[in-house]
Amino acid sequence: MYKGLKIRLAQGEPAIKDLQKASLPELFRGMPQIDGQKFTDGGKKCLEACPTGAILPDPLRIDLGKCTFCSLCTKANPEGAISFTSEYHMSSSTREGLITDGSVKMIRPEMASEKIRKYFGRSLKLRQVSTGGCNGCELELNALGNVNFDLGRYGIEFAASPRHADGIVVTGPVSKAMSKALYETYEAVPNPKIIILFGVCAISGGVFQDSEEIDRSFLKDFRADLYIPGCPPHPLTFISGIMDWLDRK
Amino acid sequence: MKRLTVQNQRPFELSLVPELTAAEFEAEGRQILSEGSRMMGLFEVEKTSGGKKVLAVFGNNETSQIYIVKCVFPKEGERFRSFAYEFPNTNYFECELAENSGILPEGHPWLRPVRKQNTILGNIPYQFYRVEGDEVHEVAVGPVHAGVIEPGHFRFQCHGETVYHLEISLGYQHRGIEKLLLKADDNKRALLVESIAGDTVIGHSMAYSLAMEALSKTGVSLRASVIRSIAEELERVAMHLSGLSGVANDVGFAIGAAAYGRLRTLVINSLLLISGSRFGRGLVRPGGVMYDLTEGAVKKITENLLIVQKDIAEINDFMFSSTSVMTRLEATGKVHYKWASEVGMVGPAARASGVKTDVRQDFPYGAYRYHATQTVTLDSGDVFARARIRSLEIEESLGFILERFVDIPQGEIFSEVKALRENTGVISLSEGWRGEIMHAILTGPDGKISSYKVKDPSFNNWYGLALSVRGEGISNFPLCNKSFDLSYSGHDL
Repeated sequence: MYKGLKIRLAQGEPAIKDLQKASLPELFRGMPQIDGQKFTDGGKKCLEACPTGAILPDPLRIDLGKCTFCSLCTKANPEGAISFTSEYHMSSSTREGLITDGSVKMIRPEMASEKIRKYFGRSLKLRQVSTGGCNGCELELNALGNVNFDLGRYGIEFAASPRHADGIVVTGPVSKAMSKALYETYEAVPNPKIIILFGVCAISGGVFQDSEEIDRSFLKDFRADLYIPGCPPHPLTFISGIMDWLDRK
Repeated sequence: MKRLTVQNQRPFELSLVPELTAAEFEAEGRQILSEGSRMMGLFEVEKTSGGKKVLAVFGNNETSQIYIVKCVFPKEGERFRSFAYEFPNTNYFECELAENSGILPEGHPWLRPVRKQNTILGNIPYQFYRVEGDEVHEVAVGPVHAGVIEPGHFRFQCHGETVYHLEISLGYQHRGIEKLLLKADDNKRALLVESIAGDTVIGHSMAYSLAMEALSKTGVSLRASVIRSIAEELERVAMHLSGLSGVANDVGFAIGAAAYGRLRTLVINSLLLISGSRFGRGLVRPGGVMYDLTEGAVKKITENLLIVQKDIAEINDFMFSSTSVMTRLEATGKVHYKWASEVGMVGPAARASGVKTDVRQDFPYGAYRYHATQTVTLDSGDVFARARIRSLEIEESLGFILERFVDIPQGEIFSEVKALRENTGVISLSEGWRGEIMHAILTGPDGKISSYKVKDPSFNNWYGLALSVRGEGISNFPLCNKSFDLSYSGHDL
């Protein structure tokens, strides 16, 4: 028993106090910035270097829903026209909101509807559905429950059954084999319910967008409520996104 | 000789691989397997109007040799006599070949789909294996599980609480990686490799990068090699901590789950200090590494690892001496040596059953050629051994990293990758935290990649999990599953 107490004491207070204001190391690749003036070629090399087609021309913008944060664009353009900051507040409640021209410093999600806030503002239970990803997103979602992030303190938790959930969190590009299971899981969630897309694969297909083995019809049939970009998204991107969306402090 | 003998990451001219008939292939394959080698890959490399060409890759842990055999199947004779009955380690590879190419292993004891559950192999649609009798019942779970984990389908044949047989049916994560790898350019291919299994980013990108360097005869600086191996060991420590946290959680040992989880955060944040990603994405590329290791990072990571080293010793001591934990771990989910070696298990799961296999030792690569690691084995093959071995490997890896930090070689971190040589092949093995990873890459006459085969260690080990629950109470399944900690995405590709 003394051993147990000793270990408990050694843990200290590992929880991050303010998850909206925590800062990440400089090397972390978060919100990209574009400085159009620094391009010597109008951004041509960056456009060519991007493996997922996340850079859009005229004017140059980055689609966070396609960006894997691989930073090849910064290497293709050593003048520093595109750079990644350590800003993790990147979630958006619309797909278009993920397309940034770099002048916007932060994407503040629009507010969820009054009804959603009334229902889920204090307690939100989510059912995660993994659909053909690589397990990176699952690891970060699991990390949300650890002692550092401790998502449970905000009343946000992952439920074992869709029947107990208020919505689903989709990870992965939606493989053909998971398409039906995704529909069925969503149908099993009682109304009103929300859809959160976690990670670049769920949002756009990511590196798998050209695969013959994926079937994204679920995402054409249903509109998502919240988009969390990243490959995989940092847990703080999820927490800050969801807190802003629910208008919670 | 009817085989080509090569070493890990040594390129070979494709014309040197002798082309055998099915009968010669059967004889040579049996010969190689009976010498104590294990199958590492069996895949179609070429389809011509005259038939199909298949490459079989075998590895021998004792001699560090890799044997390659090529078989040409004529159009009307796409079949061979299966090895699986005598050498069970080839079982799943033969199923995979049949599913992907239609070549039939005759006399296979248990031919079943690997990733596409509706494929018809031979003539009859596949049926789950069933146990029948009074009070026998079937439990079906998945693909959507109760936790935040990947999808897979499990069928248990039970009598009361006791599991007689478990069949694991996967493929839900199949997203066509191997096909995409052929179409992709260099930039995209590296991203795809990192997404084979998102928890083994470094392990897979090591195998890929080393293969590309071999095919293009690109030299990598010592500094880059050392940074890579530091990242690989950090990944191993992080995922082993995550696994221990999972095991602790599954037996209701909350303080262990919390403490291991907290330490894991320190380790993946250390990886972030090297690569800008908590999983090491964007770090390892053909030619070297993309980020240099700064002195500031070394200092901070050393601090983190010293905390891990100190704390983990105490937590291990507490957990592995606690009676309530040990009664759940010991003698649960046993896979004894004979089974583990016969079915060709790899990685920590195999080492926990006494099978001495570790690519870093058996087929050394990169910095492990100069800086050896110790291979730890245990022999009880139960959940305890699979958990304990991970804690021992954490200690070993931490020691390895801290030693490297003392004297990191100077030099460039990246060298330009030259063009790939034509008509060349390479077998590239690395030891991911789950075990042996294999990437086989062949180039065509134009110097472009013509064939890409990936094998994740999970491919070897899923069957081990099915064996571990035989005779167990069904409620022990989650614990057995966690102790193996296998990848669905790595298997499904």
